[in-house]
Parts: sequence; C-alpha cells; structure tokens
Amino acid sequence: MACHLAMESATHQQSEPPTLVSGEVESRSDIGPDSTSSSNGRVSWFEKLTIEQRILAGFSLVFVGILVITAVSYHNTSIVLTNSRLDGRSHDLLQLLSTIDVAMNEAEDAHRRYLVTGETSYLESYKKVVQQKPTFATYLRELTRGSTEQEQRAGVLERMMEKQLNAESKAIDQFDRGGFRAVKKMAIEGAGRRELGAVHQLITDMDSDERQAMNRRMADSAEGTKNTIVLLGLGAFLQLVLLAWVYYLIRHDITERRRVAEELQRRGELLEAANKELEAFSYSVSHDLRAPLRHIDGYAALLRKTVEQSLSEKGARYLQTISDAAKQMGQLIDDLLVFSRMGRQEMLHTSVNLEQLINNILADLRLDLQGREISWTIAPLPEVKGDPAMLRQVFVNLLTNAIKFTGTRPKASIEIGVERPNSAEVVIFVRDNGVGFDMEYASKLFGVFQRLHRADEFEGTGIGLANVRRIVHRHGGRAWAEGAPDSGATFFIALPTRSHEP
Amino acid sequence: MNAAKPIVLAEDNPRDAELALAAMEEEHISDKVVLCHDGAEVLDYLYCRGQFKSRLKGNPAVIFLDLKMPKVNGLEVLRTIKADINLRPIPVVMLTSSREERDLAESYALGANAYVVKPVEFHKFLSAVKELGTFWGVINEPPPEGLRSAQPHS
Repeated sequence: MACHLAMESATHQQSEPPTLVSGEVESRSDIGPDSTSSSNGRVSWFEKLTIEQRILAGFSLVFVGILVITAVSYHNTSIVLTNSRLDGRSHDLLQLLSTIDVAMNEAEDAHRRYLVTGETSYLESYKKVVQQKPTFATYLRELTRGSTEQEQRAGVLERMMEKQLNAESKAIDQFDRGGFRAVKKMAIEGAGRRELGAVHQLITDMDSDERQAMNRRMADSAEGTKNTIVLLGLGAFLQLVLLAWVYYLIRHDITERRRVAEELQRRGELLEAANKELEAFSYSVSHDLRAPLRHIDGYAALLRKTVEQSLSEKGARYLQTISDAAKQMGQLIDDLLVFSRMGRQEMLHTSVNLEQLINNILADLRLDLQGREISWTIAPLPEVKGDPAMLRQVFVNLLTNAIKFTGTRPKASIEIGVERPNSAEVVIFVRDNGVGFDMEYASKLFGVFQRLHRADEFEGTGIGLANVRRIVHRHGGRAWAEGAPDSGATFFIALPTRSHEP
Repeated sequence: MNAAKPIVLAEDNPRDAELALAAMEEEHISDKVVLCHDGAEVLDYLYCRGQFKSRLKGNPAVIFLDLKMPKVNGLEVLRTIKADINLRPIPVVMLTSSREERDLAESYALGANAYVVKPVEFHKFLSAVKELGTFWGVINEPPPEGLRSAQPHS
C-alpha cells in the first residue's frame, strides 16, 4: 500500500511543471530576512544590536530608572521626616517660651504684691517660679540644641531670668529685714522690671525666629513632596514607555522567528517535493529506460538468429555493435541510478570496522583476482563512524580501480594505509603501482562519467570515483588523489573522527 | 509434472511479451502461456471473468507478474492474489525492470515467491525466462487445489 501511495504522489508531483516550483523559490528568496532591516539608516548602530542586546538594554534602562526614582524618593521623604520631627521640637519650644513668659511675669507680679502687702501667698507664688527656673533652663537648652542663634539667645534668656529673679530675691530679702519702707521704691517700680522687659523681648524674638524656621521647613517639605510626586509620575510614565518598547521588541522578534520558521518549513516541504520528484524520475528511468534497451538487444539477437545463414561478417559485426551499445547504456543507467541513490539514501551512523570491511571485500573479489599476481600491504585499519554499506561501496570502488589499473603490470602491488594528520580526521589511502594519471587531470577524476583512459584500454563507466567522493562528502570528509603517468596512483579519503550529522 | 497447467504472463509491453514468448518457444512451453496485457486481465483470468469467462477452471502453474502495468499494477494484483484463500497458493514470480529496493521489499512483504529483474542483455533475459518457465511451469509441483482447509488462515 505504501508503495502504491508513494508512486501516486510521485506521479502527481511529476505532473506539475517543475519550473513553477523553482520559480517560486526564487521569488520567495527576494523577500528574505534582509529586506526588512536596512531600510532605516538613521539608527544603523541600533540595527546592529541583536534582539537579546536590545531587550537587555531596555530592561537595564527600566532598572536604572527604578533605582534613581527609589533613591530620590527616599532622600526627599527622609527630609520631610526630619522636618516633621524638627517641627515637633519647635512646637515644644514655642510652648515653653510662652510658659516662661507667663511664669516670669507671674514672678515679677507676685514679688511686687508681696512687697506691697506682705502676704505670704504671693511669696509662695514667687518661690514656685524660682523653683521652676532650672527646669525651664534645661528644656531651653535641649530644645534649642543644633540651632546656634537660638542657643545663644537661650543662654542670654537664662541669664536674664537669673538676673531678674536675683534682683527680686534681693528686694524680698530687704523687705524681710527692713519692711516696706526699705523697698518702697522697688515695690512700686518692680525690682526686675528692666530684666523682665529684656526677657520678654528675647522670648518674642525667639518665638518669631522659630516660627520663621517652621515656615521655611514647611515650604521645604511641600517642595520636596511635590518633587517626589512629579518624579514618581514621570518615572512611571517613562518606565511604561520603556516596557512598551521592550514588549514591542520581544513581540516583533517572536513574529519574526515565527515567520522564519514558517518559511523554513515551507522550503523544507518544497525540498521534499523536489526530492520526491527526483525519486519518481529515477524510478521511471530505472523502469522505462531499460525496457527499450532490452528490446534493442533482444530484437538484434532475434534478427541474428533469423538471418544467421545469410548474414555477412560485416552484418554480424553491426548487429554485435547494436547489442554492445545497448548493454553499455544499460550499465550506464544502472551506475547513474546507484549514484543518485547514494545522494539521497538515508545514512546510518554506526561504528565501521574498516579492517573487517576490507577483508570482506577482498574475499568477494577473489574470483576476479585469479590469474593475477598482486602483493598486498595492508596496515592495521581503524574503526570509523559512518554508513557500513556506503563505506563498503567506497572501498569496493577504490580496490577494483587499483586492481583494474594495475592489470598491465606483471607484478602488481597495492597498499592500504592510514595517516593521522590531526585528531579531527583519519586519512585512509589506497596506493597502487598501476598506470597512474596526469595530475593535470586530477580534478576530473571524481566527476560523473569522467574517464582518463580510452574505453578500449580499461573498461568502466566512470562513475566509481564520483560515488566515492559523494559518499565521503556525505560523511563530512574529503577525497583526493595523487599520481603520475605510468608510476601509480594514490587515492586518499579523509573521514572525520567524530560522527558527522548532516 | 504439471504439463496441463497454464503459465500466466502479465506483460503490458508487446515487445517484452514477444521476447519472453520467443524464449519460452525455445523450451517448447510457449503454448502453455496465457498472455495478459494488464493487471485487470490477470484478475479476470483468475476469477474467470470477462474474456476468460468460459475458460477451463483451475489455477495456473505460475504467474509471471510485471510491476508496472496499466489499470491494475503488479503489486495490486499480488495483494489481491495473496489475500484470496483460493489464489494464495499460486506461485507468483515478479518479473520486472525495477531494481528499486522498495519494490523488492514490498513484493516480498506481500508474499511474492520470487523476484527477477529483467536483464538488459538478451541472452541473459533469454536464459532467465527459459529457466523460470521450465522451473515453475514444468519442474515445480504446484499446490493441489481444493485443499482450502489445509491452508492456515492468516
């Protein structure tokens, strides 16, 4: 069934005009991958980057952007935090200043009332302020620390408070010793009135300064917050743009890859179709071309038989020539088919023991070697990787050639040897002392149906070495020859030591 | 000996047929040969249809089958023969120009008894056809007929 189907599809392929297929390939190759680029010379440096580099660049920019935004936002936010902490302290300071202001007024007021009335409750109020004074001083120092101007003022303020309280204490002492009379003047004017004025002035100054500082900080924080918001917005926008760009790049790349994959698949299908066509062609050659040749030879033989009695010597020779020509063409067709099969046959990749292979071939050739004197020199041969049947074909061709072209020698010698020029390949050569060839024609040796000898000198169709080269090439190796007229030839094949996967 | 049984030669090319008959003639067996010009005729013969409606019943001694024939090709004929329990015992020799490996493989897979590539050289073709005709048509003892139960059913 499979064969039937294969044949049907093969004939179907044949019915298509082959020029159409190849023409399609041509026109498709025009819109290859290179036509999509190179249209924009302006960003040629960018075009040179691979897609991976572009995507990496895109993501790096996004990353750097995120880092910058994070750093700046952190900086701004920490300033705002510091400011709000300082604001708390300023509020405390303002409170303290107003408390001190009230307390000092109270002290002045209370000591005067005491001087005038001698009422001890006033003295109590005054003493309370005196007791509070060190606490005030401590808080003042604490709350003004860090701001030089306010610190200095706080020092002056403390001394003024001290002075005021001292003056008032002195007046109270005098009152206790000499009564109202001794302090009359002081009681009316107030002992620390001058200092109280100074204290009040200082507190006002400090208050206004602190408020100014607070306003400055508030403006500062507002500015920082605004900047942060703007930066965040801008950064987010930029990153969105960058991410969109990277997305576009990846998307574009995927589309491109998909397109290339589809193109590859299409070409593979075309190639497969062409291969099938070729197969159908060689099948047809194999079957149809042989039939007429058989008829030519057959009818020539029948004719000979029919007219045998009356046939002249010349006539017999003509008939013989017709037969010979038909046979030769049959051989050519067979050889060509083998050659074509060598090119498309599936290859095996196994270990091939060359020593064993050569021994088998020599055993098979034993019959052909009867009556010949040949001295063989065969070096220990390695194992190589490849297709056993194909490699056998190679050595059959090389050995039969060596045997054939030493046919004129009374004592032929054939050598099979190995060279290892490097670790990547192993070279096997077949050397003979036969008729050799002119190096000038060495390039023609491996061509299909190329012969360096006349047909009546040595028989053969000239396909053997073409097969050798084709098989060796399919193994990833090389084939070449050295020689000189009448002094033998050496054929080399180099095979890769590692298996060659086409 | 099976002198009475005919030899079926399926050959669409009249020249090949003539050459084959010429060869058989030398062995004096050409009068036993039934020539079919395509696969359909072979099947008509085997099933006693069409132009072979009134032929004597019985299977041939051997069928020489060309691969490439019009209407029904050799492989299809072979498949039909080997699928029919009555026809399966008939020896079938593929006689073809094709050396293609897949033809060989498929023919044997379908149960061909022999596969012979027609040689280009006439004297080889002659001796091949003579030997085939003599062996399968004269020397070889064909399977007895009517022994259906003896055939293993596959």
